[in-house]
Amino acid sequence: MRKHYSLRYFTKQAMTGLWRNGVMSVASVAVLMSCLVVLGCFALLLININVNLENVAQLNQIVVYCEYDLDADAIEEIGSQIEEMDYIDSVTHVTKEDALETLREQSGEYEALYNDITPENNPLSDSFEIIYKGTDETEVFDLEAQLRSIEGVRKINSVYQVAKTLDGLKNGVMLVCVWFLAILFVVSIFVIINTIKLAVYSRRSEISVMRYVGATNWFITLPFILEGVLIGVFASLIGFAIETYIYNYVEKMALADLQMISVLGYGKIAIPLFFGFLVIGVITGIIGSVASLRKYLKS
Amino acid sequence: MIDFKHVKKFYPNGTVALDGVDLHIDDGEFVFIVGHSGAGKTTMTKLLLREEAVSSGSLIVGNYNLTKIKNREIPYYRRELGVVFQDFRLFPNKTVYENVAFAMQVVGTPRSMIKRRVPAILSTVNLADKIKCFPRELSGGEQQRVALARALANNPKIIVADEPTGNIDPKMSIEIMNLLMKINKLGKTIIVVTHEKNLVDYYKQRVVMLGDGKIIEDRVGGMFE
Ligand SMILES: Nc1ncnc2c1ncn2[C@@H]1O[C@H](COP(=O)(O)OP(=O)(O)OP(=O)(O)O)[C@@H](O)[C@H]1O
Ligand SMILES: [Mg+2]
Repeated sequence: MRKHYSLRYFTKQAMTGLWRNGVMSVASVAVLMSCLVVLGCFALLLININVNLENVAQLNQIVVYCEYDLDADAIEEIGSQIEEMDYIDSVTHVTKEDALETLREQSGEYEALYNDITPENNPLSDSFEIIYKGTDETEVFDLEAQLRSIEGVRKINSVYQVAKTLDGLKNGVMLVCVWFLAILFVVSIFVIINTIKLAVYSRRSEISVMRYVGATNWFITLPFILEGVLIGVFASLIGFAIETYIYNYVEKMALADLQMISVLGYGKIAIPLFFGFLVIGVITGIIGSVASLRKYLKS
Repeated sequence: MIDFKHVKKFYPNGTVALDGVDLHIDDGEFVFIVGHSGAGKTTMTKLLLREEAVSSGSLIVGNYNLTKIKNREIPYYRRELGVVFQDFRLFPNKTVYENVAFAMQVVGTPRSMIKRRVPAILSTVNLADKIKCFPRELSGGEQQRVALARALANNPKIIVADEPTGNIDPKMSIEIMNLLMKINKLGKTIIVVTHEKNLVDYYKQRVVMLGDGKIIEDRVGGMFE
């Protein structure tokens, strides 16, 4: 005989169950949703750190600043020492006049501030912009050390350092993220387990009759599993809406105030984020309901 | 066919509820199970429903060996049994129709079949005119007849009734017993656990008497002693 279990029956049971234990259902959705939003924030932060890391790493650039009061010969000497080093791809000499000019150009409406600065009292120093070939960390450190040890070099600015810092930040974020999420998900699963237990409890007489008349275990448990799925779906939908709001807000802020950071457009992230939320939400919901239905699923 | 062979049942707390029961019931029989309180009558029905497993011995019901049955087979086995309890166990927020239909829904019966069968079963138990009532609008006897209709819903071969008349007045009890006799005539095996001497004496069916987990008497046309 063909079986006539209708999806409508199960969905209706599940919705009724959620409705009957309104407070617990709302709590489950809220906690799971918070998890997803936090997870989303971390994920987007990591993605953006990675994007910025890539930009930075492409540059392979070190800027070497000379002491302020070196004469032209000494500067030229530094330049030729740099050119003789290993891993060097190109060296560009930026005189302090060039640097001043660049600053003046970048300052836009504040250009007038530079009017008093003459070649004689130029507060900048000459520098060399180096592009190197090595990508190995020890090679880069080696190069940096050599550059620092040249006589007449005041300081070096290595983008590699920035990249390192960002990388460290990434690992830190990842670590915090993993722990935080683990805790949050344990809490969500716990809340879902209790929600489903309540739902089962409020239908215990129905369940006992179902068992007597020979309903299969999956028939008895499916509405409750579906309840977990619905909790996951609701949590992911609301979570996604909130995440969208947050990201757009942060994106706007980052673009306005921190021009040197590139922020990935939300359009590129939205779809994977949405499905990520949905899958994680639904799986968490299922884990919660299956955990609380263990005894029914077994016997 | 129901076959208890040297069946023992121990509960986890150490109580020996059944202590070596041998009992054979053929298809289409009507059997009263009687005995003092704590004799093990309900335990026998629980074993039949496979709510509890036998501790030793063997129990075979129809094509199922309940000592070896797999968990996933239990629901299908239970469809061969209809069960009636002392306390009816109806859903107060479902109508008579819905209460009976529920048993069919949860085993996946097509809706059209449910629509045809429920009224027919309700007229078997003489409740055709109460089909839209809620349990609270019915007398105890009528509620028990709804429970009986639900037990019949999936067309089981065996009906197990644990003190079906325990909560209803004597006149109504006769009505329930008459119905069980009628259903027995339709070819179903009926097992009735009861305390009521008058009923047992009146119907002159096979009577199995339990005492302290053992069968102490098994007589056709027997009396309650
Ligand atoms: N779940 C259980 N756990 C432990 N002991 C139990 C359990 N159920 C029943 N018993 C014990 O097993 C024995 C038989 O109980 P059972 O319920 O089968 O008796 P009964 O004949 O139905 O009695 P009554 O006429 O009072 O309904 C009793 O001593 C009872 O206390
Ligand atoms: Mg009993």
